[in-house]
Amino acid sequence: MSFEVKRGETFGVIGPNGCGKSTLLKLVAGIFRPSSGSIGVHGRVSALIELGAGFHPEITGRENVVINGVMLGLTRAEIETKMPSIIEFSGLEKFIDEPVKTYSSGMYVRLGFAVAIHVDPEILVVDEVLAVGDEAFANRCLDTIRELSARGRTIFFVSHALSLVEDLCDRVLYLKDGKVRGLGDPREMLALYRLDVAEEEGHRLQAVHTEDQVVLQALEKAAEPVPEPASGPEPSPEAPKDEAAPPAEKPRRWGDGSVVITACRLLAESGEERYAFRTGETLVVEIEAHPRRKLTDFVFGVGLFTTEDVCLHGSNTDVDELAGESFEAPARVRVALSGLRLGEGTYLLDVAVHAKRGTPYDYWRGACRFRVATGRPEAGLLSPIRRWESSGGVVFRPR
Amino acid sequence: MPTLTLLYKHRALVRVLVGRELSARYRGSALGFLWSLLNPLLMLGVYTLVFQVLMPSRAAATSPYALFLFSGLLPWNFFSASLTDSADSLLSNGALLKKVLFPAEVLPTVSVLAQGVHFLLALPVLLGALVLGTFGVFGAKVTLTLALVQAPFLLLFQGILLLGLGYFLSALTVHFRDVKDLLGTALAMLFFATPILYDLSTVKPDALASLLAWNPLAILFTAWRDAFFFGRFLPLLAWVKLAAISSVAFLLGATFFDRVRDTLPEAV
Repeated sequence: MSFEVKRGETFGVIGPNGCGKSTLLKLVAGIFRPSSGSIGVHGRVSALIELGAGFHPEITGRENVVINGVMLGLTRAEIETKMPSIIEFSGLEKFIDEPVKTYSSGMYVRLGFAVAIHVDPEILVVDEVLAVGDEAFANRCLDTIRELSARGRTIFFVSHALSLVEDLCDRVLYLKDGKVRGLGDPREMLALYRLDVAEEEGHRLQAVHTEDQVVLQALEKAAEPVPEPASGPEPSPEAPKDEAAPPAEKPRRWGDGSVVITACRLLAESGEERYAFRTGETLVVEIEAHPRRKLTDFVFGVGLFTTEDVCLHGSNTDVDELAGESFEAPARVRVALSGLRLGEGTYLLDVAVHAKRGTPYDYWRGACRFRVATGRPEAGLLSPIRRWESSGGVVFRPR
Repeated sequence: MPTLTLLYKHRALVRVLVGRELSARYRGSALGFLWSLLNPLLMLGVYTLVFQVLMPSRAAATSPYALFLFSGLLPWNFFSASLTDSADSLLSNGALLKKVLFPAEVLPTVSVLAQGVHFLLALPVLLGALVLGTFGVFGAKVTLTLALVQAPFLLLFQGILLLGLGYFLSALTVHFRDVKDLLGTALAMLFFATPILYDLSTVKPDALASLLAWNPLAILFTAWRDAFFFGRFLPLLAWVKLAAISSVAFLLGATFFDRVRDTLPEAV
């Protein structure tokens, strides 16, 4: 990879864990030496990689400030001059003469940040350090970083707090597996990153889905579909599931077995099997089923749920005014759901074949899981198409 | 020599870190710095009790044995504690090397210097005991002579030697953690191979004595005792040897450290 950061720029680095962000920062800070290639850094670097690294627990905050300051390249006289301001910034006036071992982790970081910021570096390297400390202090840190930036200091900023990156940075480098995935406008890079995350989640869901299918087919061979006592097509309420955890709960199914759904998959409009979608994309549900007997009374249905089990949508062939005539051999049914503007998140799909009056033949709960990405840090289950307008004494400009 | 340049550049850092080591060491203990004095005093008390009352001294050459032993043991404690500390110095301060732009050679240097200060703080106890020894308090009378003026030079050479060994051991320990365990055993063996509990002149047979004399540390620790206990001036040859040993150790240690410096932050 090769790139240049100009003086006075606030430069963000994003990417998944282990992509090389921290290593890059350590190379810039001069802590690591490149094993090949070269890095040119012009100016005094101060690295906020681990705040308070080198604090000694047994001695007081004040003594540690002196030592930490010398470590960061200040002279003793400079530290003595800046001491009141450092203590004031840290907000630890009451504790400054106590041994550092009595500090909480938040206090530790505050003192470390206070010292580091007083070094007045030409280049500031910040690695995910603002995650600690309370809200008020985090804001103070951000203000300081903005102020340094306004004074023409170059800032290297690594964070997983994407909105912060978008807020602070002029340019963003997106790293993936140690390579440059993208470099440029923060919003573009963040959108790219979010979409990549969604796509990866989709691959994971696809893998889980395939696994489920295998298990299912094995079950299929062993016995008839699970004869769980059926009360109706509506599922009994379940505890909310943790979205991040892989679906430990196996797909739940019930029905009298007149029809067996042998597969259920999600496709993009192109027909390619996929479990990650952008909001607004058409989502095609494909159901494969075969009847155990000749049927004339049957309805195919789909249901969309959040991971918290909120029903977003439920419909079937009957609702959509298609009457089943005959079902006597293995078949494939597809339904395209378009204009679906879901918000960012993971969703579950139920599929079912049941009698018109409700007797379930095969109801499969959570047959598929899929991920939707909006590419923007918006909130909520829906992502409508928006158009902002204004009149009167308010002015916006596109960012 | 980059090591020396770096150390000079970061001398302020070395100073505050030595200060930190010293002030952190006794922080929280009621007697504080007094321990630096008390520890050797208690040690001397125990030796006096053991070697004067329980098992009175044998050889006339090493009598009074408590003082004989003490004048070799203090510099030895400085020696072994420095090596133990500096071998561990990079590992125990791994966070500094990994997270801060930090000159690594400062750490073993600080270990050796801090131990040196402890040694200096213990010296008054030895000197006081020697003064009492001239009055025969410990049995046979000892004589204090001008030979004492050699002590600062011995301290200097021992310091240079320790820095060299410290650089070598600290960097080696980062890559081979086994060194830490090995060092403890090695120091214990070295303690007996070096004339501290005994004098080379009393070792029989002569072949063994001349074998032990090959140990570079034998020259150093014999010299300490000559200066303090026997009140003898070292022959010129001994000084040349000491200077050679310590400077070679320093050069090798520092060169080795230079070679591996860039690998340290990642390996720590």
